[in-house]
Amino acid sequence: MIDSLLSVSGAAFAPGNLAWIAFGVTLGYLVGALPGLGKGTATAVAIPLTFYLAPLAAIAFLVGIAKGSTAGSAVSAILLNTPGEPSSTPTAMAGYPLARAGKAQKALKMGLFASVIGDLFSTLVLIVVAQELAAIALGIGPVELTAILAFSMIFIAGLSGRSMIKGLIAGLFGILVSCIGLEVETGSPRLTFGMIQLYDGLPLIPVAIGMLALSEMMIQIGQRQRLAEEADLLQGSPLREDRIVTAGEWRRCFRPILRGSLIGTVIGILPGLGASVGSFLSYGAERRASGRGVDFEESGAIEGVAAAESADNAVVPASLVPLFAIGIPGSVIAAILISAFTIQGITPGPLLFLENRELILGVYMSMLAASLILLLVGYFGQNIFARIVRVSPALVMPVVVFLCGIGAYLQGGGVFGIIIMVIFGIIGFVAKKYDFSFVTFLIGFVIGPSFELSLRQSLGLVTRVEELANHPVALAFGALAVIGVWRLTILQRRQMAALEDREA
Amino acid sequence: MPKSDLISAIVLVVFGLLMLGAVIPSQTSDGGDASISPALLPQICATAITGLAAILAVRAWRKLTRGEAAGQSVAASEWLACAVVVAAVSLAVILFLWVNPALAAAVLIAGLMVFMGERRWWLIIALPAVLITGTWALFTQVLGTAIG
Repeated sequence: MIDSLLSVSGAAFAPGNLAWIAFGVTLGYLVGALPGLGKGTATAVAIPLTFYLAPLAAIAFLVGIAKGSTAGSAVSAILLNTPGEPSSTPTAMAGYPLARAGKAQKALKMGLFASVIGDLFSTLVLIVVAQELAAIALGIGPVELTAILAFSMIFIAGLSGRSMIKGLIAGLFGILVSCIGLEVETGSPRLTFGMIQLYDGLPLIPVAIGMLALSEMMIQIGQRQRLAEEADLLQGSPLREDRIVTAGEWRRCFRPILRGSLIGTVIGILPGLGASVGSFLSYGAERRASGRGVDFEESGAIEGVAAAESADNAVVPASLVPLFAIGIPGSVIAAILISAFTIQGITPGPLLFLENRELILGVYMSMLAASLILLLVGYFGQNIFARIVRVSPALVMPVVVFLCGIGAYLQGGGVFGIIIMVIFGIIGFVAKKYDFSFVTFLIGFVIGPSFELSLRQSLGLVTRVEELANHPVALAFGALAVIGVWRLTILQRRQMAALEDREA
Repeated sequence: MPKSDLISAIVLVVFGLLMLGAVIPSQTSDGGDASISPALLPQICATAITGLAAILAVRAWRKLTRGEAAGQSVAASEWLACAVVVAAVSLAVILFLWVNPALAAAVLIAGLMVFMGERRWWLIIALPAVLITGTWALFTQVLGTAIG
């Protein structure tokens, strides 16, 4: 494997490719640092640019954005107590008190170091695991694939929101929307209302931009007063030890970073759990291990920042394992990357390692390069990014809406793409406000065509129920899906009861 | 939030029934010689959405009848922001199609800036101007595509 990776290092480390990675990381860091903007928005809006790039540069650029924005969201979390996205909330809890105590630079530096270590660890796991998993996945038939996809949808629906029912509705709605267009077997138009533009189905990018970015802008613009109020000024400390990470702090943070990297990687590999679960789990584990209780949030804790950031950043590369190995997008970033792969004429899944082996190895090397570039960009750009978080939302939000429009126009067949973006922006706004998981919708929309194809093939292969006995893997995943529904429903009821008790 | 759950569930039940009763039958062919009807997956999805939404509605109704708080609803300012963004983009599309792409972009950006409270006139002019020029240069001159 090492030899193979080295063989593609020329392409991955070519100046042009490195420049795109650096641009992606910087752009991502910048967007991530802005309050209210996260990696989903940053990556979705940047997709149109990739249309004009070579496949390796395109994927590396988007991965750079995802990595940069994940790490960058710690900046607004620590400096403004405003997480760029939910997964940075624990960082804000542990880091904002440090910033108020004049130790903002120390917290930002540890956040960056922990991010890079978590990200690097997870990237190495991706490199080792994905290909092995893909080799197993190659032996999977349509019956097994149907069961795996159904299980994944249920798993994602159960874990990506507070309600299993709402998650399932969102996922099913995604699959239903993916049915629009020409039907795979007969080629007859389906749910198109006679519109020729819909014959190829709904374009993924305007749908993704609408659901992720435009809906988020609607919410953020609605909360503009709060965003402006939170941009209070913080004073830095004149003491050097308040601005650097000391050897003692490195020793204290070593274990939380390792634990966080491991937790983030495992959470990332499991489809649907997402970075928030990873960062909260890691933060909670460190808080318990420290024995400091509420002092962790009252005085701030650099170990808390390290734990949360390492896990948060480890989730992104690990979430690509199911995408590369099986073709199932387990996260928003993975779903967006599918569209980038599609633009380049590449289908993610087990065949990726056979048909596009050089590309995937190049992506791995680019991801490793992105980790190092992230360290450089974050370290040397820290002061600049710290100023950027104070840019008025009145300037940022209109620019993002404009970029959403450009992206939808270019990738959605002109004005038609903008209309689709607006429709799904409204749907995304309502989904977010009423707690229907937009992540599950998007994943349902992306896997819908594969699910239909494998379901049709399965129905052709299995004509009687007893024939399912010839497919033990499918039966196992079917059983897991049933157990998943049962256990996740119980878990969610307990969580809701605990939440209601706390509120009462 | 039982009240919003109840409302959204009722909307989804109506949507599901509409799909099953009217949209899917009229918008899918019978499939001819196909082994499996093209309507199969849409019907499965619509049926499941209707069933799950009905369960959600019953649960929300029970919570409300038990006297549980209706929960937080979406703030008026958020609905307003949603409406303004939709209106701004729609206006920009109209201007794009019938007037000028640059004017459409300028109205979109400047309109939203003003809505969000920006009052520095030079910034309201400069930001759209720089952004539109930059976008035009990037996509038409550097990347070689066309907008408009």
